[in-house]
Amino acid sequence: MIGTLIYGLTIGGILYIISIGLSLTFGTMRIVNFAHAFVYALGAYLLITAFRKMGLSFLAAAGFGVLAVLPVAYVIEAYVIRRLYGESLDYAIIATYAVLLIGVDLIKWVWGASPISLNDPIGKDVEILGVSLPVYRLVIITLAFVIYGGLYLFFRKTIVGKIVIAGLDDKDAVRSLGIDVDRYFSIVFLLGSGLAALGGVLYAPITSVHPYMGFQILLLCFAVVIVGGMGSLHGTFLSAFALGMVISLTGRFWGPAAETMVFVVMAVVLIFKPIDV
Amino acid sequence: MPESAILETRGVSKKFDGFVAVSGVSYRLSEGEAAGIIGPNGAGKTTFFNLLTGMFPPTEGTVLFRGEDITRCPAHERVGRGVIRTFQLVSVFDQLSVRENLVLSVVRPGDGRNRKRGFFFSDAARPEISDACGEALALVGLEGKASRATSSLSYGDKRKLEIALALSLRPAVLLLDEPFAGLSDAEIGEVLELVHRVKASFSLVIIEHKISRIVDLVSRLSVMHEGKLIAEGDPKKVIEEPLVRQVYWGRA
Repeated sequence: MIGTLIYGLTIGGILYIISIGLSLTFGTMRIVNFAHAFVYALGAYLLITAFRKMGLSFLAAAGFGVLAVLPVAYVIEAYVIRRLYGESLDYAIIATYAVLLIGVDLIKWVWGASPISLNDPIGKDVEILGVSLPVYRLVIITLAFVIYGGLYLFFRKTIVGKIVIAGLDDKDAVRSLGIDVDRYFSIVFLLGSGLAALGGVLYAPITSVHPYMGFQILLLCFAVVIVGGMGSLHGTFLSAFALGMVISLTGRFWGPAAETMVFVVMAVVLIFKPIDV
Repeated sequence: MPESAILETRGVSKKFDGFVAVSGVSYRLSEGEAAGIIGPNGAGKTTFFNLLTGMFPPTEGTVLFRGEDITRCPAHERVGRGVIRTFQLVSVFDQLSVRENLVLSVVRPGDGRNRKRGFFFSDAARPEISDACGEALALVGLEGKASRATSSLSYGDKRKLEIALALSLRPAVLLLDEPFAGLSDAEIGEVLELVHRVKASFSLVIIEHKISRIVDLVSRLSVMHEGKLIAEGDPKKVIEEPLVRQVYWGRA
């Protein structure tokens, strides 16, 4: 049972780290960003290149994966996302989906289509209450909590954070205070993209790395964002862990239904709490 | 050459998907002048304000600030020059406290120009920032409510807070979009008194639906109808014009 719990928290942590960017991009820019899944997969592939080909340690390779994604995210933001401000949601979906498809093909071109697997970088287990648990998963869970705390402080304690919170509320009012609000939204976009890459980096040793890995996780992340409330910092955190537990608990009793159950939960939430876009 | 214009438009139009919201408006506001714009609902008054403040660019025409073409200048840069506005639906930040609202207008991370610089929100406790916020609140009579949650304020107090935000930005020209909408008679009296008290230090344009409220406040009144400027001049004379009476009250 503890194993199931830890697995659920690990999945929840990964989902949180990836979803927060998706949620903030929707909350600030009103854009459903499918390209997020490309950035996530790219992070994992850059990790593999740095780790296997460049011979860096896992930690350094992970850092490389996250940082090297930022220029790509910047290009996506400046040349695709920024042109979609104020356009209808469908345009954003089509354009960012196109970026995702192009990105996946680029990955196949550079790294090939066959799945790559990585070993657990820590490779040690600890025993908790008689159950042996991989340390790596505990690290992921801790990291998710640290990121949550860090973002909380960022949005609570810094002027930039407050500007973004105010912008979530009323973008035009923030502009009318003489603040170039789009610039701050770009910062948030880069932050979210870096976290998506981190999610890919962290998840790589647990799952296998393949060009379509983004598609799979993206649907789960949309469920997280919808259940947690788009643009909600706390909601995304709670819903990521709740849905992580749904996956691990369902998987324990009936494996094939694990991910389907997430969407059942999402549907139930939508029935009781419809979204107003 | 007449007295210099602080804000001027030359034939500005704005079309939305074929609908003409503002049509060829040429408008001129002199330095230090207090002017009013009236017109029925849907006349294009707020759209005209949005063109002045740069919320979106006009389809045609130019906007000038002190003679300089600012047609393509984004909204936040116009604020830097002193073009400040309030909104018809009061725009304050409910998720922040009253004082924190002020901090957003007073403090800037990085490139501060005329504003105080700060990165951490706790910088707001620094005396020069805290004093600037306190001053702005005292001006509108909200100093006692500085630490209240903005969401707990009455609509009238939110309007005063919005005006405090605008004033803290040191307007060269202040554009008030129906500042009395949704307020009680007592609150209208307070806001009107506030505007009277501060208006000497900047140029003012006020959009209003009820003419009687601003007749004493402004020295010139413009009337908009179906996106066009149809009359302009001394307030008491303008409202007597047959065309104005017709579009406004439906009778000449």
